[in-house]
Amino acid sequence: MSDSQGDYSLATTPSPAGRSAAGDGALTAPSPARRRARRTDWRKHAEIALLAGPAIIVFVAFVIFPVVMAAYYGFYKWKGYGVPTDFVGLENYITILQDTTFHDALMHNGFIVVMSLVLQGPAAVILALLLNRKIRGRSLIRVLIFVPYVVSEVIVGTGWSLMLQTTGAVNGFLEKIGLEGWAVDWLSDPDVAIWSLMLIITWKYVGFAVILFLAGLQSIPEELHEAAAIDGASYWQTQRRITLPLLGPTLRIWAFLSIIGSLQLFDLVYIIWGQYVSATAGTSTMATYMVLNGRNAGNYGFGNAVAVVLFIISLVIALTYQRFVLRRDTEGALTEGKK
Amino acid sequence: MRVKKTIAASTAVLMGALALAACGGSDSDSGSGSDSADSAVELTFWHNSTTGDGKTYWEKTAAAFEEANPNVTIKIQSVQNEDMDGKLQTALNSGDAPDIFMARGGGKLADIVEAGQAMDLTDLISDEVREVAGGTLDAFAVDGKIYGMPTAVLPGGIWYSKDLFAQAGITETPTTMAELEDAVAKLKAAGIQPIALGAKDAWPAAHWYYFFALRACSQESINDSAAQMNFDDPCWLEAGQAYADFAKVEPFNNGFLTTTAQQGAGSSAGLLANHEAAMELMGAWNPGVIAGLTPDGKPLADLGWFPFPAIDGGEGDPTAMMGGVDGYACHADAPKECADFLNFYMAQEHQEGYAEAFVTIPASKDAQAAVTDPALQDVLTSYNEAAYVSVWLDTVLGQNVGNALNGAVVEMLAGSGDADSIVATVKAAAAKE
Repeated sequence: MSDSQGDYSLATTPSPAGRSAAGDGALTAPSPARRRARRTDWRKHAEIALLAGPAIIVFVAFVIFPVVMAAYYGFYKWKGYGVPTDFVGLENYITILQDTTFHDALMHNGFIVVMSLVLQGPAAVILALLLNRKIRGRSLIRVLIFVPYVVSEVIVGTGWSLMLQTTGAVNGFLEKIGLEGWAVDWLSDPDVAIWSLMLIITWKYVGFAVILFLAGLQSIPEELHEAAAIDGASYWQTQRRITLPLLGPTLRIWAFLSIIGSLQLFDLVYIIWGQYVSATAGTSTMATYMVLNGRNAGNYGFGNAVAVVLFIISLVIALTYQRFVLRRDTEGALTEGKK
Repeated sequence: MRVKKTIAASTAVLMGALALAACGGSDSDSGSGSDSADSAVELTFWHNSTTGDGKTYWEKTAAAFEEANPNVTIKIQSVQNEDMDGKLQTALNSGDAPDIFMARGGGKLADIVEAGQAMDLTDLISDEVREVAGGTLDAFAVDGKIYGMPTAVLPGGIWYSKDLFAQAGITETPTTMAELEDAVAKLKAAGIQPIALGAKDAWPAAHWYYFFALRACSQESINDSAAQMNFDDPCWLEAGQAYADFAKVEPFNNGFLTTTAQQGAGSSAGLLANHEAAMELMGAWNPGVIAGLTPDGKPLADLGWFPFPAIDGGEGDPTAMMGGVDGYACHADAPKECADFLNFYMAQEHQEGYAEAFVTIPASKDAQAAVTDPALQDVLTSYNEAAYVSVWLDTVLGQNVGNALNGAVVEMLAGSGDADSIVATVKAAAAKE
């Protein structure tokens, strides 16, 4: 959702041999040509190494290496001091997979993934269609919808948690308008808390989806709408047959970002519920489980094992999604080495 | 993290997770045992007072030590209390640990000792210091050796607002659970929230369980259970039962499950500071925390204190107290002057300065006269009369079991657990040790 989503580089490194050899065959003297080809080859390699090298080094040092270290620590019972010595094999992983509180967290994550798509998707499409027309106060509405996405999670969490306290502004407002019966414990009641969370998530992230969809709508050629109008298509037919299908790639990318973000949700839950109450209120996520049972309990080896599990779950879902859903959209965007 | 605001007036005690002040960069050339008195020695020292009187106190004390030992310079770094845990962990792992770092005993210190990173101070503590520190040194004992030096003792009890008690018509502070429940009923009748509880941070809710356990279990049982991680004694179950019964009268503030302990006016300390609730169970750092949250930013004028009430049929001594000890430890590779500094700050004048700067109870018996806050004086009186003082349970039990215990207590309060599940969770966590 809002986190940087790692590096799903959709573009592989362009092949250095891309076009260098092409056309050389037309040259009469093969040897200088080969020499020239070799030289350009070498120069291209050097160029790539020079330009991409620093980024690759940083990426390996700060992304790949920590992932490898987490996998290593995950096999140990380790208190976080000094070098891990207490090798326990798969014990941490077995504990995680048998832990009912982890199952709960996983279920909550699944619920958040599904509900984010269900709540935000339609709402964002409708808002984007509205805002794509010339209506009064359009830019103001755009700003209002997008502002929550820009505000940091900590501020959003703190603000909402103050408002949703039993003695907070929301219940105060309900009492003022005579709906005392509606005033509930928005945060601690296990039946209500997850919906409070979904409300906040929707409020915060729907702006991101709207902006994406608006950009997608901009790219739909006006001629298509004109042609549809000439053919006598109604407004709804036009939206259903032209706008939505052409918005497909944008929708699919947004859904991808939303799923990955929902799986890794941590900050809002941590700020509003803390680590202990999130478990009793039914809003814990895999990430809060990791911090509670890893860092907080001083069981750093176990915490790293949880991180690995979270990583694997996210990776499998991401790869599956890319393979089956995004394949059509990314075709052509990927260079397949030599053309 | 269960995090406490560091206030000039109080180094907050972190239950279980000890926030350790630590500062990187112990010089590689400050090898242990620089014998000659004239070779220059540099000590790196991390503490957790980033502002106000506390910071000034450490600067003055370090300067006085440097004056008395011209060959020693102390490099002070004050670290935000919230950042300490992680910083020290990193520093210890990278071999870049400070010479003097904060310690609060218990399982966390034991972990550091086990990793060979703490200096054995048993033979380095001077006789005078042993005399004035008394039993507080035991808080830093690991396998019979002492690894830390106390600065302050922070026993817990119930803080209350005298004005709100008067308003509800409560004339005597409760001494038994029945009287406490009676006070709760009176406060409710007067439209006052009886007890503020910051259950979002878990440890404040768990404090209640510790105190019930302190009253239900004999001293022997508490010590044995902690040492052997064995919770078979039925008193652990009784403590949970007593707690569950007390929770049934709904004594805590509205929305206590999402109330923090010390952050802002809506926290449990803030509720007491703003007369929104009448009582709070907390350690001796509370007056300083409350002072920072009152409308005028001054100490709460009508703040009073009474010991945790007795419970029926408990095996624990009704005068027994529970509390934490703040202090400092030396890194294993620190020069021996490090221990000299720890002895140095235990001198009467420096301990008195500490008590004044941090508004707390000094570890040295000789410096107790410096305690002037009336509520703290009540704490001190009870402390000196206590049959024994136990360290916070989750500190004793260490991070892993302590964390599990705190979480289980919250589950019970939230209705998804009970007295049995507390004991079961703790046993399960102990089995993982």
